[in-house]
Amino acid sequence: MTDTSPLATSPPPPARTKSSRGTTVAVLSLITLVAVLIGSIGLGARSIAPAEVISILLDPDGTGFNSHVLWTERIPRSFLGLAVGAALGGSGLIMQALTMNPLSDPGILGIEQGAAMFVVLGIVLFGLSGVTAYFWLALIGAGFTAALVYLIGIRTNAGSSTVGLVLAGVAVAAVMSSLITLLVARDEAVYAHLRFWSVGQLTGRGSIMGEIAPFAIVGLLLALPLGRTLNILSLGDETARGLGIRVERSRLAAAAIAVLLCATATAAVGPVAFVGLVAAHCARMLVGADHRWSLPVSMALGAILLTAADTAGRLVLDNGEVQVAVMTAAVGTPFFVWLARRGDLVRM
Amino acid sequence: MTILDTRTVPDKTTTRAAIKDRLRSAHRAKTRRTALTVTTLAAVLVGLLVASVLLGGVGRVDPSDVLPAAFGLRTGLADYMIFQIRVPRALAALLSGALFGLSGAIYQRLIRNPLATPDIIGISAGAGAGATTVFLFAPALAFGAPVAAILGSFVLLAIIHALSLRRGGVDTYRLVLIGIGMSAICIAYTNYLLTVADKHSLAVAMRWLIGSVSAADWDGVTVLAVGTVACGICAVLLNRSLGSMSLGDELATGLGTSVPRTRLAALLLGAAAAALATSIVGPIGFVSLISGPIAVRLVGADRAVGLSALIGAAIVLGADVLAQNAPLISPVPTGALTALLGAPYFVWLILRRRPEATL
Repeated sequence: MTDTSPLATSPPPPARTKSSRGTTVAVLSLITLVAVLIGSIGLGARSIAPAEVISILLDPDGTGFNSHVLWTERIPRSFLGLAVGAALGGSGLIMQALTMNPLSDPGILGIEQGAAMFVVLGIVLFGLSGVTAYFWLALIGAGFTAALVYLIGIRTNAGSSTVGLVLAGVAVAAVMSSLITLLVARDEAVYAHLRFWSVGQLTGRGSIMGEIAPFAIVGLLLALPLGRTLNILSLGDETARGLGIRVERSRLAAAAIAVLLCATATAAVGPVAFVGLVAAHCARMLVGADHRWSLPVSMALGAILLTAADTAGRLVLDNGEVQVAVMTAAVGTPFFVWLARRGDLVRM
Repeated sequence: MTILDTRTVPDKTTTRAAIKDRLRSAHRAKTRRTALTVTTLAAVLVGLLVASVLLGGVGRVDPSDVLPAAFGLRTGLADYMIFQIRVPRALAALLSGALFGLSGAIYQRLIRNPLATPDIIGISAGAGAGATTVFLFAPALAFGAPVAAILGSFVLLAIIHALSLRRGGVDTYRLVLIGIGMSAICIAYTNYLLTVADKHSLAVAMRWLIGSVSAADWDGVTVLAVGTVACGICAVLLNRSLGSMSLGDELATGLGTSVPRTRLAALLLGAAAAALATSIVGPIGFVSLISGPIAVRLVGADRAVGLSALIGAAIVLGADVLAQNAPLISPVPTGALTALLGAPYFVWLILRRRPEATL
């Protein structure tokens, strides 16, 4: 873990990743991504023979129940999983780079809860519905909450700013979820719907792929060229200024893109924690601190993680399935605890 | 100082007497203050109890029927509403609040950090996971949920404690961080259980999970009452050792306190108190966080544990009266109100200069 150096308070300049290493990792993660995608399409509660899957894929107009399951449920769901995972992976890495905090993750910092609160506010007060409306509400909520958590987090005196940011996230998430409860407590219909949504999951969300795709694609495309900026920002404000970067403006732009990605993911599937955290750390372990490589790798790993977790969640039970947020928590918590135990993290 | 002002240095005997006098009067003032605080709080509690029984929430009872029913002069609906719904509910709020307040104060005093309360470091989430398991898989088990909650909280406490140990010592902030992580997985597990539950147990578990005293019945009150008395006695026995531990481990050992034993006992007692309350009324958040520091501010650290229980009781009971009767928002789960109150306080705690210096 020594190559996660940009997280320290006075980071050495990020080592350039050798392009041979970067390419190898990128190719390997793309292969894994394709494998996970195939797995996600081919495997599920209803077992369909591989040969039949191929024949259905070759014949999009085919009829029959299996064909229906595949085209209207599994395929959109798999691509949605990829998009949301990539968004969370990118968002997590950008947030960690900007806050220089290895525990940053849109779920842990409460930003997804804030997005959810605004969505509920819109539903209860204005009767809004539909993924597009949810998206804009989630975007406003995520931006507001991110600013709030950041402002509280940098002013804390809780040992270190790392811990302070997490504590601020916990507090803001608690306020947001109690506001949600206050808003929906009397409306059973909204409550039932929200209860379903508040456990992040991909079940039955395949149909919203078309609506969420533009936002996800725009967000990911905006995020991809950020690597160089993040590299320069991680050198510290003065050095970055010396290199001719407008620090405040580029930091704000990067934060806005991270919020956009996180809001997209939340509007699509509800709060899913730990994906960004795990993806970003694994990406840095694989390609080092150079954000030009770690950012796309983190997106790919996020997509792999979310889709694989979703596929596994469909298979672990004989009857029914485990939500993807539960699966990622099972993977993410040990990771989080391991990070929290590391010596250099908590400074008193 | 070069010139000694002799007029301000009296002879030995008067100094000793003066110091003794001052100590005695300080002690007396403190006792008076404690007595005053306890009396005020008791009055507030009685007032809230009366308000809770008279006002109620759902199910209107004619106010003119309330008093006769309370004295057993009227039977029927009013009697049922008072004795089967409102009184157990008020008592459950009171007792669970006392348990939350007690557990928070013990942890804050032991760990010497106001953030280290059972609900923040995830012990309540462990209790919730244990209780939900019983709710969904063995709902018929008598007193199964409280026992499972205590077991769950002890298991989680052991895990968190083991994980935050580092070179012999426990680092408070690491403890809090690991607790936050562990509560995430407990909540994920609980959420997962809810999705596989059948409809009936789901309704029971859901009402419970938001943290509401509305489902409390006399069985629950019995569990809470026994738990409060037992935990209260243990807390009184522990208070002295906890006081000497606040001087530091070495001094405490010198004063004849077994530090490891006291620490273990306090950790288990706090977890058990939080788990008992959680198993009956659900995770009512932030009560244990708020009560302790208020108590310390009112009467000082050495008497804070008992007072914190009273304050916790007042907070939950007050929040419940509010949750049932406040215009616009009621009825809402009690836990939502305490979280709305407690989380800003939490923010204030982490924004302050030295949060670890208060206890």
